[in-house]
Amino acid sequence: MSTPFLNISGMFKEFKKYYKKFLKIFIKKKRVQLGFYGAVNAGKTTLANKISVDWLGKEVGTVSEVPHETRQVQKVENIIVKTNNGELKMNIVDMPGIATQVDYKQFSSFGLDEEGAKERAKEATKGIIEAIKWLDNVDAVLVVMDSTEDPYTQVNVTIIGNLEARGIPAIIIANKIDLPDSAPTSIENAFPQHVVVSISASTGENLDHLYDAIQEHLT
Amino acid sequence: MKVQLDFVSSESLSSKGSMEKVSFILERIKKNVIVVLEEGLNPMEETELIEATMREINTKNFHGIEFYRLDHQAMNIRNKIANYIAGKRLGLTIVGPTRMVEAIKKEPDYISMLAKGGGKRRHISARGAGKSTKKARKRS
Repeated sequence: MSTPFLNISGMFKEFKKYYKKFLKIFIKKKRVQLGFYGAVNAGKTTLANKISVDWLGKEVGTVSEVPHETRQVQKVENIIVKTNNGELKMNIVDMPGIATQVDYKQFSSFGLDEEGAKERAKEATKGIIEAIKWLDNVDAVLVVMDSTEDPYTQVNVTIIGNLEARGIPAIIIANKIDLPDSAPTSIENAFPQHVVVSISASTGENLDHLYDAIQEHLT
Repeated sequence: MKVQLDFVSSESLSSKGSMEKVSFILERIKKNVIVVLEEGLNPMEETELIEATMREINTKNFHGIEFYRLDHQAMNIRNKIANYIAGKRLGLTIVGPTRMVEAIKKEPDYISMLAKGGGKRRHISARGAGKSTKKARKRS
């Protein structure tokens, strides 16, 4: 049997979830705090950079082929996007990629020495914890997935399930549609209950559709 | 190297809180045991498992976990409610340490896991359904 503390904690979480939903009915937020979640190397920072450069003229973070390049939460505030339906105001919060394992040896093949690889692994684990904690502070989420990969991963399923349980609205991004192996329909089939927007963060393809979808579903 | 699997019945986890479940699983994983849960963790517990795993990772002998829940298929609200009323919870889940589990793959009606130990690969499949296994232990 669970302890009374856990029951009270669970009840409080439930109350908070419904209270937030209740407030949203009456209060239309002027600026949405949008978290970018997803597996490692899905293209979260590429997308955050593209949006931030287009509308603020500055990058959010560094993009690299080396896994766990983003190891700290990176936030850009006061982005105002002109859309077909007016203005979309948002803060974007680029999260470290979620993973269930971090082996420092994987960094060696990218030219890091042992000490550098160990340090990077340590920072990566902290980044993942930080990203999970930030779920308490976002209004809505873009779940970024690599459309050249199988979307049925435990990381993707856990992120989506967690957002559903917390009542956080989300859009799934089928990223990298500019690549020949891209299969965004496999993402649509995997998560039919969610809005899926296919884009290429690196070329900017379909970003207009993404802004419209954010405005329609997440604000 | 031997591969040990612990099959954990839903009854033995039902009395535990989220953190207790996560500790129970991680304790075994860190001893290189692959854990098969008759009833899976909910998404919040899964996130707690990832978070706890990140805290435990070290550069010596623990680099993380691989896990997979059988009922991955996107479930609509109606199915969720139907399952709740029927008393069904989350599906069979397999959790293993990264150094022992090379890959976990979802097939239409079963999970396929490729375990590694002592340089040899071992293929293990786990299907859903079935009766409580009462903490059975197998060595291969």
